[in-house]
Amino acid sequence: MWLVVLQSCWVKAYKLMTRYLFNMLSGFVTLYMVFALLFFGAKSIGGSAIDLGDTLEGIFAGYLTWMLAMMGSTELAWNVTNEAQTGTFEQQYLSPVGYRWIAVFTESFNFVYNVSLIFLIALVMAATTGQEIHLHLGSTLPVMLSVYIQATGLGFALAGLALMYKRVQSFFQVVQFLMVGFFLIPWDRFPWARYLPLAASQRVLQRIIMNGDRIWQLPAADLILVLCVTVTYVALGAALFALAESKAKERGVLGQY
Amino acid sequence: MASLVVSDLTKTFREKKRVVEAVKNVSFSVGEGEMVGLLGPNGAGKTTTIKCTLGLVKPDSGRIEVEGVDAWRERRKSAAKLAAVLEGARNTYWRLTVWENIVYFAGIHGIPVSRGGDYFKYLLSVLKLEEQKDVEVRKLSSGYKQKTAVACALAKRTPIVFLDEPTLGLDVEASYDLREALRKLQSEEGRTMVISSHDMKVIQDVCSRVIIISRGRIVTDEKIPDLLTLFAARRYKVVISQNGDDGAIRRAETEALERFPGCEIRRNPQTVDVLVSLADGRQIYELVEIMRTSGVAIETITQEEVDLEKAFLEVVRREARACG
Ligand SMILES: Nc1ncnc2c1ncn2[C@@H]1O[C@H](COP(=O)(O)OP(=O)(O)O)[C@@H](O)[C@H]1O
Ligand SMILES: [Mg+2]
Repeated sequence: MWLVVLQSCWVKAYKLMTRYLFNMLSGFVTLYMVFALLFFGAKSIGGSAIDLGDTLEGIFAGYLTWMLAMMGSTELAWNVTNEAQTGTFEQQYLSPVGYRWIAVFTESFNFVYNVSLIFLIALVMAATTGQEIHLHLGSTLPVMLSVYIQATGLGFALAGLALMYKRVQSFFQVVQFLMVGFFLIPWDRFPWARYLPLAASQRVLQRIIMNGDRIWQLPAADLILVLCVTVTYVALGAALFALAESKAKERGVLGQY
Repeated sequence: MASLVVSDLTKTFREKKRVVEAVKNVSFSVGEGEMVGLLGPNGAGKTTTIKCTLGLVKPDSGRIEVEGVDAWRERRKSAAKLAAVLEGARNTYWRLTVWENIVYFAGIHGIPVSRGGDYFKYLLSVLKLEEQKDVEVRKLSSGYKQKTAVACALAKRTPIVFLDEPTLGLDVEASYDLREALRKLQSEEGRTMVISSHDMKVIQDVCSRVIIISRGRIVTDEKIPDLLTLFAARRYKVVISQNGDDGAIRRAETEALERFPGCEIRRNPQTVDVLVSLADGRQIYELVEIMRTSGVAIETITQEEVDLEKAFLEVVRREARACG
């Protein structure tokens, strides 16, 4: 049963993606250009003022985190908003596994797709420009996953808001910028900033990319922090969504009433 | 065994200023393999009733049992037994083809193509969708879109299926095709179906029993032939001659209206028709008595031909009067 549902979600997500082929290709090209710009641009400017480790790898790690987080969170929230209007949300809600799992399965497809894209582009970059990016698969993948899971939590929270208040889409964009803020706040001056979503993961990712460290060479405390933060935010997001869901059912607004 | 039991269902929507009692103390049960129509004007509470059963709208009170399973306490179990096409929504992905939609929605119900494929194809043939199989839904006419949504719901092979206003917005031919397909599938498979509509012809065409809802309450729950005979027996047309004394006719009219508040009076050039529905057939004698004492001449008394549409309007009108 669960396997069938997982497979169905993946097949559907894949089909929908290829149906929007233009979006997919333009996504690829944009990403490639941003990567290239980051590298060459950062080189010529020579460091940056913000606390990202002041190196292009630092910026790169920040960008990577942000991009993944954005893909993970807003895609989910947008889907809920759009599908509530078309009635496919209610239809998926009728599934015995419930909408939450369907969303998680779809997110898992998006994760695999987006991460493959990142590695592919890193390879293409290396081939076309000779710029090597340290993306050790075994080390970056778990961290990227932690970013994505936190983003899913955030996405659930946003989706919940979207269910209750129909006009919050414009708010999504604000959140996208807020997310940058989460990991730009320097920890030494604001120690609590390390508990913000994404911040710890970004730090770890940065070290892996900058120093070429392997994940097992990093301090255990950092990794535990990442783990705790990840679990906390995804749980919070899911709880908020569950709350919104039950409110929406009370008001009868799961659909487009 | 009853497939579906709804008892004392009540749902009130509270918005900023408005309080709407959408469904009030609604109880009914649907037997296995029964095809029941929920009939009522717009805003009667049909969709709310259906969505409460599906677990999409939370009732204030009441109990819903789906094949003996509490729909709210054991949602996962009851969801596995239900499928629905909801009103006024797309229900499907317009960017996917007809086939991809069916495969997806059956898939998230736990039915893989490998197991359901043959049945999916059969559904396409019954619904006359074979040629559209690989067309993206957005490119289809509204009739085919709706048939796709119906196919997606039926593909899950659940014992109970809800169709909320399935023919709304369809042209005559598409509506006819869909109804015929539903009849055929139901007679072959014996699934329990609940079909809502504000159009009595649709219900009369496919259902064997009708539950009429008005203002959130059930006003009638009858087998369709029963409903027809019931109303046929009650509707009378009394034709009185215009040639008599005009004052007498006025008197007769006033008294008839007083005694039978719902009666309808039509003045023709030669005659006056008094149309009346009687709760008890014997009351016709009372009406005749009124005519006699007023001094008018009765030409004919006939029982009116009734179809469901008239019966429905009658019930709704009576309900509206009772509520003031
Ligand atoms: N989510 C909602 N919020 C507020 N009022 C609602 C909601 N859904 C339905 N209603 C109101 O409840 C009543 C019944 O609606 P509905 O069940 O859709 O009727 P029907 O399907 O018979 O047309 C209507 O007056 C409608 O305006
Ligand atoms: Mg309705």
